[in-house]
Amino acid sequence: MADHAIGHSVPEARPGMRFRLEGLGTAAVVALAWMALIAISAIHRPDFLSHQTILAIAFTMSIVGVLAVGQALVGISGGFLDLSQPTSLILTALAASRLLAAGLDPAFVIVLTLAIGALWGFANALIIVHGKLNPVIVTLATNFIGLAALFLVFQIAEAPIDSGFRAFGRGSFLGLPNIWWPMIALVLVVGFFLPRTRYGRRAIAVGGNRFAAQARGISLRKTRFAIFTASGVCAGIAGLLFAASSGPFTPASGTVYLLPVIAASILAGVSLAGGRGNIWLILLSVGFLSTVPTSLVFFGLSSDWQAIFQGAILIVAVSIDGYREKWVAR
Amino acid sequence: MTDAAAGRPDLPQSIAHHPVRDVVTGPVGSIGITLIVVVAAGLLLIGPRFLSASNITIAGQFVAIPMLIGAFASFALLAGVVDLSIGSMAGVGAAIFGALVLSGWGLAPAIALTLGICLVFGAINALAVVGFHADPIAATLGMLTGLRGATYVIVEAYGQSGSLFAFHEGLFAFTNMLVWSLPLIFLIALAVTALAAIVVGKTRLGRHVRAVGGDPLAAARAGISVPRVRTGALLLSAFGAGLGGILFVGQLGAVSRLLGFGLEFQVYAALMIGGYSILRGGVGSPVGGALGFLAIAGAANILDLSGISPYYVNIIVGGLLLAAVLLDRIRGGDAYE
Repeated sequence: MADHAIGHSVPEARPGMRFRLEGLGTAAVVALAWMALIAISAIHRPDFLSHQTILAIAFTMSIVGVLAVGQALVGISGGFLDLSQPTSLILTALAASRLLAAGLDPAFVIVLTLAIGALWGFANALIIVHGKLNPVIVTLATNFIGLAALFLVFQIAEAPIDSGFRAFGRGSFLGLPNIWWPMIALVLVVGFFLPRTRYGRRAIAVGGNRFAAQARGISLRKTRFAIFTASGVCAGIAGLLFAASSGPFTPASGTVYLLPVIAASILAGVSLAGGRGNIWLILLSVGFLSTVPTSLVFFGLSSDWQAIFQGAILIVAVSIDGYREKWVAR
Repeated sequence: MTDAAAGRPDLPQSIAHHPVRDVVTGPVGSIGITLIVVVAAGLLLIGPRFLSASNITIAGQFVAIPMLIGAFASFALLAGVVDLSIGSMAGVGAAIFGALVLSGWGLAPAIALTLGICLVFGAINALAVVGFHADPIAATLGMLTGLRGATYVIVEAYGQSGSLFAFHEGLFAFTNMLVWSLPLIFLIALAVTALAAIVVGKTRLGRHVRAVGGDPLAAARAGISVPRVRTGALLLSAFGAGLGGILFVGQLGAVSRLLGFGLEFQVYAALMIGGYSILRGGVGSPVGGALGFLAIAGAANILDLSGISPYYVNIIVGGLLLAAVLLDRIRGGDAYE
């Protein structure tokens, strides 16, 4: 964070204009990288271009995409990062599994699970707002505590195998996995309303310059509560999709999602400094990142290589972001 | 902590300090009190056995390597560039070293090559963070993931079923050696901490690091090269993590693919409890950081001896972490709104 404080000497002229233009630039770069990855994989192995590949990519995209919406909302509104997503994902997945096993109506289970996710985000916001503590450290600590508590509660869990819920998670619609559709709907809806409604614009304003936002009468506290609760609801949606589509899971199963989600959010142009980012671009960044593991398989590399590439992509992405913040945008 | 800087025109001035009050309310004071509470709790719950030589040996073995890694990583925190990749760096260092030992390399060249490779990774961190002004948390999170993947790949290639057996007799004897009934590596960790405390508190270099972390603009105006200090700090942090990885191989005789997983959180939680901040440079001291490690090791040891699930340690660490940052904020740290 400290680095962004250097070189703020020239105030930005037209944030709205830059918001749109930068979005386009990021979109072009990520789209090109994605196309290049697909092209290289297809040249190497023509059978890469198959319905099976599309299914695999779409499947990987679903949960990462939903979590990335929450992460992007936190980033755009100046909350930096929500590092507690691994806990909220598994907490809600566990809740959904247990409630379904208890024989509750699926619709009721969905509502309850989302409420638990919202509650988790609200609890984070309570500590952040009332302690005036940095969200990065607060969510780091609550993730630490939450994961340990989950390990005390269960070792391995699974949603009832014969339930309609699991059948939904296995099925597909119009050639794409069922769990892909809630993700695309969430991205489109949040991406549409964020820059077009009063509440969404408030969140962007708080992220851009919280003092200016405050001077315009926007409540920082209410915004923080709303954003972190929304991030919790996103984790709840992801938890439902996760419980429906994955087999048995452990408390640590959520940890693998954190980095791809943060990388997706940053690749979508969400600035860690706040105030900038386009939710729709998440589709491109998540699509690109989710193609990496499938491509690796076609190149004969084990899934272990996935982390190396994702890490490298993230370093390059944040370097470009930092370079742009320092030399181009400001 | 900042007293040493007072009276020097080229460094940011601190507000006048109250010497006696500072001892209690300062970062080292509050972690010292926490440690005393932990020891008292240990004596109450466990009895005199808690402070017996054998128990201190066990706790010392457990905490020595993270403490050593923390002593090096604390320079990056102090310079205002947190390096989250240290856990994976220790893991990949251990994997590289283990693979070299398995391939018949001698101890000295294997150590040299391992540390050299870790320094290259540290240089990549520095290139992104210092050269391109990438956010340190995000960039080193990328390095964390990448190196975790590299650890998987190396352990997969050289080991069997997720573990790489690389027993080195000399190194095993070294890492498990007892001196005055205390583990040698624990004493080394204490010595490195003391050395770091002297460098940070008493030398020109230490003052520069603190100045860069505290206010980079003011430090630059005072003629200190901010990029050079931050690059050095990130290299030092990578070096310490690599060294820790090598010692892990000696201590354990094997490299699991998950070696060092989550270690960065353990280390930074201990350092933050000890008065450092991962978001604000220029605060904290090596002594406070070491006391943070001891407090957590003591708490873990109490739970261990009482037969309580180790997961409660993480809950306690998380709670302590929140309390520590709250205390830091009340002491004048940046309030987040």
